[in-house]
Formats: sequence, C-alpha cells, structure tokens
Amino acid sequence: MLQLVEINVDGANIKAPKGSRVLDNAFEYGICIPHLCHIKNLPGTGACRLCVVEHVTNGYSKVTTSCTLGAEDGMVIRTNTDRIRKLRRNLAEILVAEAPNSRAVQDVAVRCGVKEVRYPFRNEQCILCGRCVQICTDTWRARAIGFVGRGKDRQVAYPMGIRPESCKQCYDCVELCPMTITPCDGPIQPGQEYLCGHCESQLMVAEDIPGSCTWCRLGESFGCGRYG
Amino acid sequence: MPRLNSYRELEHLRTSLLEQRQPITHTVMICGGPGCQIAHSDGLVDALQKEISSQGLKDSVALRATGCHGFCEQGPVMVIEPGNIFYCHVSSQDAFEIVSQTLVRGEVIDRLLYTDPASGVKIQTEAEIPFYRDQDQQLLSRNRLVDPCSIEDYLVAGGYSALSKVLQGASPADVIKEVTAAGLRGRGGGGFPTGRKWLESYQAPGDEKYVICNADEGDPGAYMDRAVLEGNPHQVLEGMMIGAWAVGAQQGYVYVRNEYPLAVQHSRIAVEQARALGILGENILGSSFSFDVNIARGGGAFVCGESTALMASLEGKVGEPRPKDVHTAVEGLYNKPTVLNNVETWANVPEIMLRGADWFAAKGSSGSKGTKILALTGRIKNTGLVEVAMGTPINTVVFDIGGGAANGHPIKAVQTGGPSGGCLPVDKFDLALDFDILAEAGSMIGSGGMVVMDEESCMVDVARYFLEFLQDESCGKCLPCRTGIDRMLEIVTDIAEGRGRPEQLDLLEELGDTIAQTALCGLGKTAPNPVLSTLRYFRAEYEAHINEGRCPAGVCKPLITYSIDADKCNGCGVCLRSCAYEAINGEKKQLHVINAELCQKCGICRSECKFDAILVA
Repeated sequence: MLQLVEINVDGANIKAPKGSRVLDNAFEYGICIPHLCHIKNLPGTGACRLCVVEHVTNGYSKVTTSCTLGAEDGMVIRTNTDRIRKLRRNLAEILVAEAPNSRAVQDVAVRCGVKEVRYPFRNEQCILCGRCVQICTDTWRARAIGFVGRGKDRQVAYPMGIRPESCKQCYDCVELCPMTITPCDGPIQPGQEYLCGHCESQLMVAEDIPGSCTWCRLGESFGCGRYG
Repeated sequence: MPRLNSYRELEHLRTSLLEQRQPITHTVMICGGPGCQIAHSDGLVDALQKEISSQGLKDSVALRATGCHGFCEQGPVMVIEPGNIFYCHVSSQDAFEIVSQTLVRGEVIDRLLYTDPASGVKIQTEAEIPFYRDQDQQLLSRNRLVDPCSIEDYLVAGGYSALSKVLQGASPADVIKEVTAAGLRGRGGGGFPTGRKWLESYQAPGDEKYVICNADEGDPGAYMDRAVLEGNPHQVLEGMMIGAWAVGAQQGYVYVRNEYPLAVQHSRIAVEQARALGILGENILGSSFSFDVNIARGGGAFVCGESTALMASLEGKVGEPRPKDVHTAVEGLYNKPTVLNNVETWANVPEIMLRGADWFAAKGSSGSKGTKILALTGRIKNTGLVEVAMGTPINTVVFDIGGGAANGHPIKAVQTGGPSGGCLPVDKFDLALDFDILAEAGSMIGSGGMVVMDEESCMVDVARYFLEFLQDESCGKCLPCRTGIDRMLEIVTDIAEGRGRPEQLDLLEELGDTIAQTALCGLGKTAPNPVLSTLRYFRAEYEAHINEGRCPAGVCKPLITYSIDADKCNGCGVCLRSCAYEAINGEKKQLHVINAELCQKCGICRSECKFDAILVA
C-alpha cells in the first residue's frame, strides 16, 4: 500500500510517498531544484550532482543529491541556501566549461547562476549524464547501451560495441540526450566556445521567488521535471 | 585432523599440539613478507632447511617462514628464539654459519647483526633496535608466531580461543557492547566506530546478513593490510566469525586485491583449513552458529576499496559507488544488512574479546583507541611497517622510529593517509596520530600510509602526483570527481609548468571545497585533500612557482636550469661521460659547461658529480 510521509522542503510541508525521490516531490509542489541527469520518476543515479540539497538532521546539515534521496517522515530539506547555491554554481560552471555546445547545458548553467567560466572551454560530445543509459535500463529494461571504461575513458557504448537485439531503435536515448539540442544561435565552432547567458532574463523571474518553479523556459530543452 | 565437534575437542587439540612441540628448543623466524621476498628470503628458507636437516637438528629446531616483521629496509630479516637474536641482510650463503654457530653453539654472528646508524654500535637483540624499541606491536608481533599456512601454529599461539569463548557465553549484544566499549574505530580510513556499525546491522531487519573483509588495499606505498592478511589470515577470519556471530550473518567474503597473490593464496588456505576442522561451516564447534567465508578477488580498480563499489563488484556489477543515504549496515550487499570492515579492524577483534575492552582502550588517545599499523616510506633512514599506539606524536614515528632524514636534507613534511590524505609541515609534527586531530589539521590517518618528504620534494609536484593518481582511478560516474579533479590537475600542471596565474590559487581552493562537499563517494570527497593541505601549509611554494617562475625544491623541470659551479668543477669529465644527451662540453681539467638547449634536466650529471658542482636553480 502506498504510504504517505510528510517532508519539509524549504519550509513547505509536502506529503510524499515513502521512499519516493525528494526531487520529484519538490517539483510536484512547484519547488525548482535544478538538475540535469535525473529523469522524472526513475530511481536516479546522482551523476551530475546539480540537484544537491542540504538534508538537516539534529541541527546538522549534510549535502546530498535530492534525486537519490528517498522521502522519510519528518525529513527537513533546504534547497536554496547560500552554501547550496555556491556549490551548484561551481558544479554548473565545470559542466558548461566541458560542453558549451548544448542549449540544455547552457540553460542549466544560467539557472544555476553561472556568470563567468574560469576554466578553458572544452568541446566534449558527451557529458556522461547517463540519461540515455537510465531510460534504456530502468524504463525499457533493454540494457542495449551502458557505460564502458573508467574515469576519463568512460563512454556510453553498446555491449562489445555491437548493437544488440534488445535495442528496438526507439530513439528515446537520442530524445533525452541534452547534447542533441544546439544553442539558439546555432552550433558553436570549436575554439570559439562562449557562455551564452541569453536567457538570463528568465532567471530574473525565477530569482524573485527563490526556489519556486515559474515555468521558466530554462528546463524545457532537456525536459526538466516540469516539462518531462 | 578430524573435525572438531565441541569446545573441549578444540582445547584437546591445542594441548596435544603443544605436547608434540615439546622437544623444540630453538625457533627461527624468517620474514617472508613482500620486501624480504624480493631480497630472496625463500632461498634462505630452503638453504636453512637443508642445513638444519644435514646437521641433525630437525627435531629440536622449528623453522618458520612468517609474514612481514616490519623492518623491510633491512631484509631479509630473521629472529632466533630464545635470545631474540636479530639478523638482517641475511643471504642463503649464511645458512651454514647460522646453524652451526648460533643454533648449535649459541654464538652470535657479528657480521649479520644490525648496526645502529646513529651510534655505529652493533645491536644483538630485536627488542633493543631503535626501530622496534619505540613501537607497540600488537598485531604485527603475532606475525612472527605463526606460519601463515599452518592452522596448527595459530592454534598453538592461542588461536580461535576468542571464538570459542564468545560462542560459549557471549550473546551478540554482549559482543557488540564489548567492541563499542573498546572504542575500536575502522582502520580502513574513515575511522567509523566499529561497534556502532555492528549495532546498526544487528538491529536491521532481515535474516540474511553479510560480513565483508575489505582487503582491496590500493594506496601507493601502503601495505599494512597485505602484511596482516598474508602473515596471519586466521586472525582475520576469527575476527570475521566473531563479527558474524554478533550481527547474525551466515556468509562472509574476503575481497582481496588480485595483485596480492600471496594474500589470496594464504587466505584461501586458511579458509580450507578452518572448514576441515569445522571452525567454518555448519554448526561451528558443535554450536548452533553456522558461518562460511568465500574469497573474492578484486579486479584491480582502486575505487573498489570504497564500500559500495566493493559490494557492486562482489555482486558482479561494474565497480561503481552508489549513494549512501541509507548505510550499508542496513542496505548493503544484495540490499541486505552488511558489515564491511578493513583487514586490520577485523584482526583487532579476537584480542578485544579475549583480553577485554579495557585492555584495548588502555592504549591510545581519548578519541582513538588501540594501535595502528603505518607504512613508513620516503626520505628517511628506516622504512617499513610500524605499529604504534594511537595518539603517538608524528615526531616519534618519523625521527625515533624512522631514524630521521636519509640524505642529509632536512625533513620538510609528511604525507599521511594515502593519496587522499594531506601533507603536514614539520612544525605540525607534534600532533598526535589520532583520527580527529589529523582531520582537524587537514589531513587524515586514512589507511596508515606515511610518506616523509625533505627539502628536495616540491609540494606542487607532490599534489600533482596524487591528483594524477586519483584522476586515473576515479570511476567517472559523478561530475565533480571526473571533471573536477581533472580541472584541478589542469591548474596544478599549469602552475608546475610555469603558466600559473595568481587568481588560480583561490579557484583551486574553491573548486576543491566544492568537490569535497558534492562528490558521490569517499574517493571524490577526499580527493582535493593533497591540494588543499599543501595550499594551506605550503602556499609560498605555489606562489614561488607562479610569481617568480621558480621551483624552490628544484623538481619542476620547466622551471629549473642546470649549471656548473665554476669554483667546484675540476674538469674530471664524469658528468660529460654520463650525460645521455651530449649536453655537456669541456676539455679535461677545464671548466665544463652545460648546453641549456640540449639539457633534458634528467639529473644524472648531478647524481654522478662527486664535487657537488652541478647547480639547480
């Protein structure tokens, strides 16, 4: 039977199914926790770490990702403290420096408050968020793609490099890939990468009501919890 | 030997083994640890065996190839009892003399004794050697008592009596209470209170539970778990059995690094021997307790030393960590309650049960009890494994036990806790080796690695080395660890190669702090430590690299130039002949000159020059 518990997110008491992801529940309620790798109602892998929140227990707060955190009764979550905002911004900064050639990544960087990038840009093809692997494994149970290699050699690939029978070419992996959405001004040429920031006006709306989803268009490109 | 069906049969076996060994008058203990094996200790064992038989001492002399004694620098080492005579750098050619003089006539061979480098005096017994004198060997000393492949030796040394005592009269709650009272904390690096972990697992619902011994030791230069598991596998097994009884587990795993073939072999033999005696398996020693252990070999990934990655690997999945919002003590292997402890932690358990929590807690500092094995390496005289009581100052370990600087350059820092530990400067050497004190100082005890560095070590280069290691070993699952460490490495490499900018130091600190707070597992969370601690204590070195384009220690190649001191060079030509790049010119008895364009800064000329005429700046 579905057991409902009450969690407190940024002061709001939210009824949530026990064990369901805090990130999904906060979204249902309208509290925006920026995220990239999470797909709504899937277990969550905690790969991009953008959805970090403070989980307060006994007056001591611990930073953890809300996409992997299961709701427990009486849980106290803070999504928009100075500490969290700074961590999120720094994470988004290294993310956008890695792959500026994606509107989704650029948008999430704006949403996380990145104003400058202090690292040399790289023009990676894949940011290893694992959305494709999640949908293929957790939703379709096809396991047609997965991660191969460790650390810098990590990449998404077919088993042994051959497309298996279990792949029905549903193209959900392509659909969900944040790298397939080119920036509004068109693809950025290698060597000319820049931080776009065109959508900063969207952020103004979001900043007026901190931590609340205002249906800004920043999450649209990668299908954030609101749009997905 | 037949299966043991009761506690009395165990004691009976022990007594009869002791009786069998009555005629033995001398025991020769040769270290068979990795260091001594490289120095051909197995050849020595064979030679001694032959010599003992040919001189007719087979019944009165016990020859034992044991696990590591600790003093790897002097290997192969051996100890002869009675007399506690310590011989070092022994070779198989010495076998005849050792048997005929020391074993037969009781004479000590001066040539093989250890010479104290400070006083130049030969030292006869092991206990008097400064390296051992200031140690408190509780676990390592037991390595000498047993042949790792012999359960008989372990039984004679009192083995499995703690298990028998626990099964006869202690409830799981009693055992957990005792371990908690002893204040035992995890030796693998985290320092989590063992008793609390066990209690959590004990209280977790479910009948199916597991215990795991983490022997996937991967820190560069650290080998204490290897020494314990190779040298005394039964003690680790006994600890696991007591833990399994306490939490209610029926199955245990030893996850051992495959690069440790001896540890794999010895733990396998130990498990088979224990099974044959009925110490592992159904109804152990006739009690209601059933427990078995399997040996699993690690696949060579450093990250698999992390508890959740290790469990994923055991389950046959990719060895990647998962979030630990729920402790593994509640949801671990196959989502069942699992107690995972380090080799050294398990090895401490039998003695705690036998001698009591008070005995264990009497050693150590207020927050950290018992002893800790450290792997002491770097620019010091005595390198090897060292076991000291927790709370011992770093000074004692580096200067008294380690013997101080090896090459005459003053000691600058010590790197504790392996690749994700931190560097402490020499003015912090009065700090006690204690989980909390070191953590406060920006370092950690970690698994116990201690690398001593002198004035010739560049701290920027050290930070870069560890970042390179961690970046290579990161599993790549989460962004801060995969990309963040890579960016830190990029910046530190820039600094080391003279492209650094002053504002990058603050960026390094900010990025390091972000990674430490947001990474998925312990590897990422501690990865910035080498950079953060060197920035904290040796910022001036970073600034010298950035602002002056100078490497004070003369290590970072793009920032240094080699030249020849005109006053010291006498034109002997050694440097000219040794240079592989033909970068040195000069006539005999004339001043030689280095051609900066050809010089590859390899440093051979410097090490060859007998007059210290090669300058690095």
